[in-house]
Amino acid sequence: MTNKEKLEDLMIDILLIEPEEYSLDLKREDVNSWDSLAVVSIAVGCHETFGYHFDPKEATSINSVQDIINILETKGIDFNE
Amino acid sequence: MSKPIKWDKSDLLRLSKDDTLLWCTPSCKQIVSSLLPFNEGAHFQPLNEQIRNLVVIGGGTLLDQAKVWRLEQSTKINLIVIPSIWGSGAEVSPICVLNDGDTKKIIMGSEYLPDYYLILNELAGSIPQQRATLACGDAWSHALEGFLSPLSTPELQAELAQVIKDMLETGLGNNSHWFELSGRACLLQSKASVGLVHGIAHTLEPVLTNKFGSSWGHACLCSNFLLPVMAFNQQSSSKYDDYMEKYNLDKDAIKSVLMDLFNRASFEEAMPDLIECWQTIIRDPCSRTNSVLVRPKSISFFENGSFI
Repeated sequence: MTNKEKLEDLMIDILLIEPEEYSLDLKREDVNSWDSLAVVSIAVGCHETFGYHFDPKEATSINSVQDIINILETKGIDFNE
Repeated sequence: MSKPIKWDKSDLLRLSKDDTLLWCTPSCKQIVSSLLPFNEGAHFQPLNEQIRNLVVIGGGTLLDQAKVWRLEQSTKINLIVIPSIWGSGAEVSPICVLNDGDTKKIIMGSEYLPDYYLILNELAGSIPQQRATLACGDAWSHALEGFLSPLSTPELQAELAQVIKDMLETGLGNNSHWFELSGRACLLQSKASVGLVHGIAHTLEPVLTNKFGSSWGHACLCSNFLLPVMAFNQQSSSKYDDYMEKYNLDKDAIKSVLMDLFNRASFEEAMPDLIECWQTIIRDPCSRTNSVLVRPKSISFFENGSFI
């Protein structure tokens, strides 16, 4: 499984959305279930999946899938494989 | 001093009988009548205008209802709460868990805090042994889920680790020390959060109570799901083991307590509804602040029962 696929799997489970609703362009404002508790779940899930723990400032700055990728890429996690 | 302020019995006995009303849960009326001189009133009825102090003695449900009801009154009354059993920690918590039809409604705010609380150790005598043990499971679930919460801070973790050590030392069963331990655990977890045990309990309590009767209360659910959920947390991430080691907690002793709280027949009775309600459980706010991520497929861990 590539990191892109792992992230897709994770976000679908956290946001409880259908696979067709997910895209790399997905933003917080597009999904009702992307609330403050989803932010906690994203932090927990990314730690479990990618081994990186967002600090509180990073976690609260996340407003899109691309934001997650951008942060993880700065930690050496490759999404272009 | 921040609310709620801890009183002792002498503080309570300084209140005047003329402006103080007592609400008491039936199970401890006899003990209370020999300890306190106050007149008892009907619950949730309008108060006479001379009443300034309301003393409420009961379990978490009655205390939480009183915390909300007090705010709805037009005149300011002091609320003094006394738990009749440990476990919920409602006497010190800004969280109120209310029955709302077939679901549980959770509200939170410092305005719900009582003004004063106290512990009457004598009330432990009114608690049957099995109920006392299940109430310990409720307190254990607050301590462990708060300790492992993703919203917990190192300071909270250190304090909760000490509560866990004190709980281990006290042991399960009818012991008035549990009043104090339970209050500490609840106060600390209210600053972090709880996890999947509570998500399961909030979802299944109305379902199982309708089906099997009142024995499936909150404390029973917490007691029976603490072992499976902690096993799930431990298997899903190294966090459980890492935190236990970091705070020098005895994992084997904790597991032994969780096994004592677990009843396989009860777990198996609840299992069909756990599966049926899983999609609701994973949406519960408490499940969403579990130590590890709870996913739709996570139900398979509980179905295969390998933790037993």
